Amino acid sequence: MGLKFDVTVVGAGPAGLTAAQQLASKGFKVLVIERGKKPGSKNVFGGRIYAHVLDKLYPEYVKEAPVERWVRRERITMMTEDSWTTLDFETTKVEHRSFTAYLTNFVEWLDKKAESAGAVVVSEVPVDKLIIKDGKVVGVRAGNDEIYSDVTIIAEGINRLVLERSGLAPKLSPELVALGVKEVIKLSREEINERFNLDDDEGMAWVLAGYPTHYLPGGAFIYTNKEAITLGIVLYLSYGYQLDIPINELIEEFRLHPMIKRIVKGGQLLEYSAHLTPVAGVNASPPSLYGDGYLVTGDAAGFLLHLGIIIRGVDFAMESGRLAAEAVVKAHDSGKYDKESLSIYGKLLEESFVLRELKTFRNAHKVLIEPRLYSDYVRMINTMLKRYFEVDGTPRKLGSTLLETKGNLTLLDLAKDAIRVVMNL
Amino acid sequence: MGGLTIIVPVKAAVPNVTAVRLDPVTHNLVREGVPLMLNPYDRNALEFALRLKDKYGGKVITISMAPPSGKDFLESTIGMGADEAYLITDRAFAGADTLATSYTIAKSVQKLFPDFDLLVFGEETTDSTTAHMPAQVASWLNLPYVYYAVDAEVKLEDRLILVTRYLEDEGVYETYEYKMPIIVSVYKNSNPPRDVSLVRKVEAKINGLVKSIDNNALKLERECIGLRGSPTIVAKIEDAKPIERKKQIFKGDPKEAAKWLLDNLIKEGVVKP
Repeated sequence: MGLKFDVTVVGAGPAGLTAAQQLASKGFKVLVIERGKKPGSKNVFGGRIYAHVLDKLYPEYVKEAPVERWVRRERITMMTEDSWTTLDFETTKVEHRSFTAYLTNFVEWLDKKAESAGAVVVSEVPVDKLIIKDGKVVGVRAGNDEIYSDVTIIAEGINRLVLERSGLAPKLSPELVALGVKEVIKLSREEINERFNLDDDEGMAWVLAGYPTHYLPGGAFIYTNKEAITLGIVLYLSYGYQLDIPINELIEEFRLHPMIKRIVKGGQLLEYSAHLTPVAGVNASPPSLYGDGYLVTGDAAGFLLHLGIIIRGVDFAMESGRLAAEAVVKAHDSGKYDKESLSIYGKLLEESFVLRELKTFRNAHKVLIEPRLYSDYVRMINTMLKRYFEVDGTPRKLGSTLLETKGNLTLLDLAKDAIRVVMNL
Repeated sequence: MGGLTIIVPVKAAVPNVTAVRLDPVTHNLVREGVPLMLNPYDRNALEFALRLKDKYGGKVITISMAPPSGKDFLESTIGMGADEAYLITDRAFAGADTLATSYTIAKSVQKLFPDFDLLVFGEETTDSTTAHMPAQVASWLNLPYVYYAVDAEVKLEDRLILVTRYLEDEGVYETYEYKMPIIVSVYKNSNPPRDVSLVRKVEAKINGLVKSIDNNALKLERECIGLRGSPTIVAKIEDAKPIERKKQIFKGDPKEAAKWLLDNLIKEGVVKP
């Protein structure tokens, strides 16, 4: 059976559905294929979406999108077994910069946008591989079925099996990804407002380092939704082998930490999930982001900006989807979908925030993967503040307390690491 | 003879029965806003039907009484290989118990496919597990009903069917011969369902293979459908209260402890002396 579309999109997530909506609204015949039960059912993220892309794509989103809470408060915590040190930022201005959301609901909303623009979205079918003829991607294969198209947009997410099986990307190496595990815990709106000092539609984004990952590179996060909080752990996969307990127990321990326990008290576990996440930005990109008959977008392209305390995936995914659509339109106008015509995608990415930001922070992951940041420094800052505030009659100056508590770190380490962090983040 | 006409009625089931709410007044399940899925055992029934179609030709049609969102999972049945799917949807059908539902399914099938050969059901649903539907439909249509079916053979020219069923408790297979049409329900651990086909799913969408039918078209008796046709009244729902434990602790010699425990169990009437 020979079915033919103008464009096939592999994966109904933020990148794929944005590309599909953009193309369908310009009259292209678009098919989106999703392996999950429905669009969004395979998506997992921490909890926050930066809204700037939506201003451009769907200005009506403020009324329509399934926003949970607008982030007004950010916390960064260095945590040990029995203490923590927190940097807490709050603003009185409720600016619509970023919001917490359930990604599943958000993607369902994007799906409605794509389908009402005319895209055909088919779920519960995994694409096995691309059909490549004479070096050109001409369609996709799923089981015994083949579907042909002029151009294929690969938006399959970080677990990019289609690209791998088609020989267009190498297997992911552990240092490019982290493993995230996450729980959603139901609390009442009032409990959340009270425990996090928020008003009804205000949210908090919180990252924690140190104890949550047993001092290995990675961290924990907490986001507030309307009537639930999401709580999770992200662990750099290349350090996974040093972990002394399974990661699912790590998240339990984190939840049971005396400081966290009081925050989730009385809560009910609604769901848990796990997913890989790219942490190395463009270093995780496949050898080429475009080629004869195909384009790669979103997580599959490594388009996630991970700066330790700022993690942005959805806005990068959606923007890359939008640019992929723009590239397809331009290639269509030129009458060809070969690598040369589609190279406009590369150019558009370079001009957009997607590659501008990712390239600026190209070396961020080399700094963030430094184990000292998650162990020695976390312990040091907590010990230092503890000693400084302990009063027992011994005179303690800030400087001498620092020297006392720096542990294994040399002053040279401190200086070098400070420079590396400042230069790369 | 153009092979078999097999109808597979399927249900939009609630995937997570612990997350549903009950209406405080009617005590009925609140289905609005609850995500639905295809009852998993209906996939085994569909597989049973598709195997017969593969062998003897004809067509397989799925049918479901569900809210409009039921279209999605009917597309999934097309994806597996059903030729057409019918969504019976109307506010008039809402609030139906198993009797009204079985009436709706039986009469819809009679009107839409008067010449059907087989009606194939899943063993039960995962959300309500009554297994009422096939028996009640058989009763409305006055047709034979065989359950726990795992396999069948058909003699097309004589319109005969030999159905093999598996009785789990006894561990035996039995084979019965019937003149078609009949009602079959399929043993849930048989006929593992096939994968959904990409091309079929695309065709379901672009060719509109799921058709919606309301009661203006079906003209079923208003007194027999929906809430009005449902004699089941949920009079009261109570949360089971946890039993207060006495939490007695006996400290001391194990022999004495055993005696103490036994005496207490006898006193409470748990064991007989």
